[in-house]
Amino acid sequence: MNDFNRSRFIEIGLRFYVVLSFAFVFAPIAASFIFSFNSDRFPSIPLGAFSTEWYRAVANDPLVWDGLGNTLFVGIIVSVVSTALGFGAAYTDFRYRFFGKPVYMALALLPPTIPVVILGLAMLAYLSRINLSGQSVSVIIAHIVICSPFAMAISRLRLSQMDPDLEAAAWNLGASEWAAMRYVIVPFCLPAIFGALFITMAVSFDEFAIAWFVSGLNETLPVKVLGFLQGQVSPRINVIGTFVFVTSMTLVIIAQILLTRQTRETPAKD
Amino acid sequence: MPADPYFKKTSTRKMLGECPKMRKRISLYSLTFSLPLFIWQVVFFVFPLAFLVALSFWTVKNFRMQPDFDTINWVTMYGRSIFWQSYGLTFAMAAAASVITSILAFPCSFAIAFKLGPKARQLAIFMMVIPFFTSYLVRVYSWQIFLSDNGIINGFLALVGLEKIAMLNTVFATMIGYLTLCFPLVVLLQLFSLMFIDRTLIEAAHNLRCGRLRTVFEVVIPSARVGLVIAALFCFILSFGDFVSPIYLGGGDPTTLSILITDTTKSGQQWPRAAVIALTMIGTLLAVAFAAIRFAYKGREQ
Amino acid sequence: MQSEPLVTFNGVIKKFGAFVAVQKLDLEIHKGEFLAIMGSSGCGKTTTLRMLAGLDAPTEGEIRLSGKPINDLPTWQRDTPMVWQSLALFPFLNVIENVEFALKMRGVGAKERRTRAENWLERMQISEFATRNIAQLSGGQRQRVALARSLVVEPEILLLDEPLSALDAHLKVRMQSVLQGLQRELGITFVYVTHSQSEAFSMADRVVIMSKGIVEQVGTAQEIYRAPKTRFVAEFLGSSNIFSGKSDGNGMLATPVGKFRLPQDGTSPQKGRSTTMVVLDTRSHLSVEEPGSEFDFVHAKIIGEEFTGATATIYLEAEDGSELRVQKDHDTLAALPIDVGQPLYVSWRPNETHLVSDA
Repeated sequence: MNDFNRSRFIEIGLRFYVVLSFAFVFAPIAASFIFSFNSDRFPSIPLGAFSTEWYRAVANDPLVWDGLGNTLFVGIIVSVVSTALGFGAAYTDFRYRFFGKPVYMALALLPPTIPVVILGLAMLAYLSRINLSGQSVSVIIAHIVICSPFAMAISRLRLSQMDPDLEAAAWNLGASEWAAMRYVIVPFCLPAIFGALFITMAVSFDEFAIAWFVSGLNETLPVKVLGFLQGQVSPRINVIGTFVFVTSMTLVIIAQILLTRQTRETPAKD
Repeated sequence: MPADPYFKKTSTRKMLGECPKMRKRISLYSLTFSLPLFIWQVVFFVFPLAFLVALSFWTVKNFRMQPDFDTINWVTMYGRSIFWQSYGLTFAMAAAASVITSILAFPCSFAIAFKLGPKARQLAIFMMVIPFFTSYLVRVYSWQIFLSDNGIINGFLALVGLEKIAMLNTVFATMIGYLTLCFPLVVLLQLFSLMFIDRTLIEAAHNLRCGRLRTVFEVVIPSARVGLVIAALFCFILSFGDFVSPIYLGGGDPTTLSILITDTTKSGQQWPRAAVIALTMIGTLLAVAFAAIRFAYKGREQ
Repeated sequence: MQSEPLVTFNGVIKKFGAFVAVQKLDLEIHKGEFLAIMGSSGCGKTTTLRMLAGLDAPTEGEIRLSGKPINDLPTWQRDTPMVWQSLALFPFLNVIENVEFALKMRGVGAKERRTRAENWLERMQISEFATRNIAQLSGGQRQRVALARSLVVEPEILLLDEPLSALDAHLKVRMQSVLQGLQRELGITFVYVTHSQSEAFSMADRVVIMSKGIVEQVGTAQEIYRAPKTRFVAEFLGSSNIFSGKSDGNGMLATPVGKFRLPQDGTSPQKGRSTTMVVLDTRSHLSVEEPGSEFDFVHAKIIGEEFTGATATIYLEAEDGSELRVQKDHDTLAALPIDVGQPLYVSWRPNETHLVSDA
């Protein structure tokens, strides 16, 4: 085998490996989708008949609707608050230098790296101490802690694309700091702000561990799924999983479109 | 050299790293943006973790927790062999997961970084991001469908006339779960460090008669070391703290530290002991992270 | 023209940490003049402009605008609009919205805003682009938008921070005449920061040359070009031969390349004093034969040649390694053996020289 053949063999092998990797990553997602339409209670192959009975079962489960309501309620508040907090921190990092900034940045970015069990336990213990556990608000509080770093990162990325003279130019043209924020910084960051709203909502939408620790009776949908998992095998998980997947993907794709949408016109010639 | 003028700007103040625009550093305006997140993370992130430390010294009497300063929880937990067994097991599994995931992910990220065109690479990156927005729980449940005794894989084996293999509730299944959790992240992190390697380095190596595979080990991996180590570190952190895979794929036996925490917390009032476990985990993670970063930057000043 | 100054810098010092960007600046800017501040990067010219705009606060000293101290006035309360090197046009606003911005910030009503902005677009000949995105404009068009955006408030003074550095040579010249015309027409003060001699000298009424935070010389283009005050200015302009040595107290300068007559302006430095003398490259001559006694001269070898249109500059190296330059028209040069390595005499009349201070 000459060298040329050998390298082709490697190229094809590597490409095949990439396909294999994606197969591994998407197998569970696809299976969940397929089996949500399968009539058998115990999913296996060969497949049973096509059926939407599990969708009906889920739709008729008031507990699922409660969970969905909680998830949406929590998700919306979390996305708005964490985007506001994250944007503020991103702007602070963009504009100011101050003593202790590394500490500030660590606080702003570290929470997602702490294992969720530990954060869940700490939150549960602390929030029950200040009588805030077992409510939707406890989930909201905890989710803002882990979501605002994402909002911060997204906003910071956008700010770093901004000509740093833009804000000063606004001041120079008579805009006070507040006016420059309103008429220059925020409009410039608008795509990132919307992107952050959707991404943080998607993160909150999927988070189950901390929510499970602190939610009490006000369970969000993913916590419900955890409950189903603890019970018997139930294709309802597939239905909810498919639903959550479609919702999250919609949010992410919207965010993606917002974040990459830019004026692509080429400048005119002189 | 018509560099794009609209994005370049150098002046003394920037060379000095001075922030140009500050008249007063502390003003209502600056605090409006900087303080809210700071306060939130102090009150709801730092305080809970600090409280965990205090909690580990509380005592439980008649199923009620009492503020106290007693080392009993530490002594009790550290005196139990089951705790140390779990600890060793969790550590070993997380370490194994980070090694296995790193090795399995590398050819994939290598191929995406060097063998795909820009369009295909972008698509591949986007596809690797998708799993982050699907429920991990649902994916784990899906693996149950694949791995269970009457599941998809055994169904296939039966079709071709082979014997069933018991896969669910084994360490193998737990590893599949860890892989599900970490693989996309590790690929992405590896990918980003590989993409920043100067391609001429690789060409130079080939030009100097360094073979294909040897180039990977002598040039590519050392150049991307920081990213590769960070990727493995994240895999370790995630696996070390995960309780879903060990329970729902590994069957909860043997018990990992995260299972211990959820059990201790969710059943009964032994939160102080759970706090001891949690703090031990944080200590371990800090040590591992520190060691990993030291290793990543070893021999590379600044 | 020497009316009451519009802007006064009074002992202004600006420090960034330990770095002194501007040292003790005293400068008056008159009403209606076109002033250029020139220097290489890091000389403090941009900092000076930013202090005037209110973007940087002076560490010490006072800045007055129309007689009133403005040190404590934030930039948004000063009428000192600036044209930025990056132009800093708002990419999310279209052309006319960019121009309207300053009026909007001053609370001018929507209708009046539009009329005044349209007026300025017309004046800058960019009316047809009113609703275009900034990204769709060419460099020259952006420049005009930036000017209109700053001028729409009809200020008494306009600050320009290297606004032309991004343009190609041809467009630069065109924009220079636009700027000059605009300044004459409006009769307002322009303060123009640049590192380019040709921009400063061709447009400005007065030029300020700065180096390391210090003003080296202030004057008209002619004054500075003909008679650089300091060694730095002479070197910065790069159009003179510079000779350093010691005065012998009898009107002669002893340098490593020879003894030369000092200018006879009655300021002969005392004996033994370090002295630097310059002579313009256009006032220097080349010859194969030793020049007559009315000339002073240096023997040197040609090391290179640079064409600059109607003339060429010949670079030579003296025996001690110091560099000399002579600028001549091509006809004159055609009569000489111009080849690298060719030894020639570089000469000048002593009354064409003058002394500079050794900064």
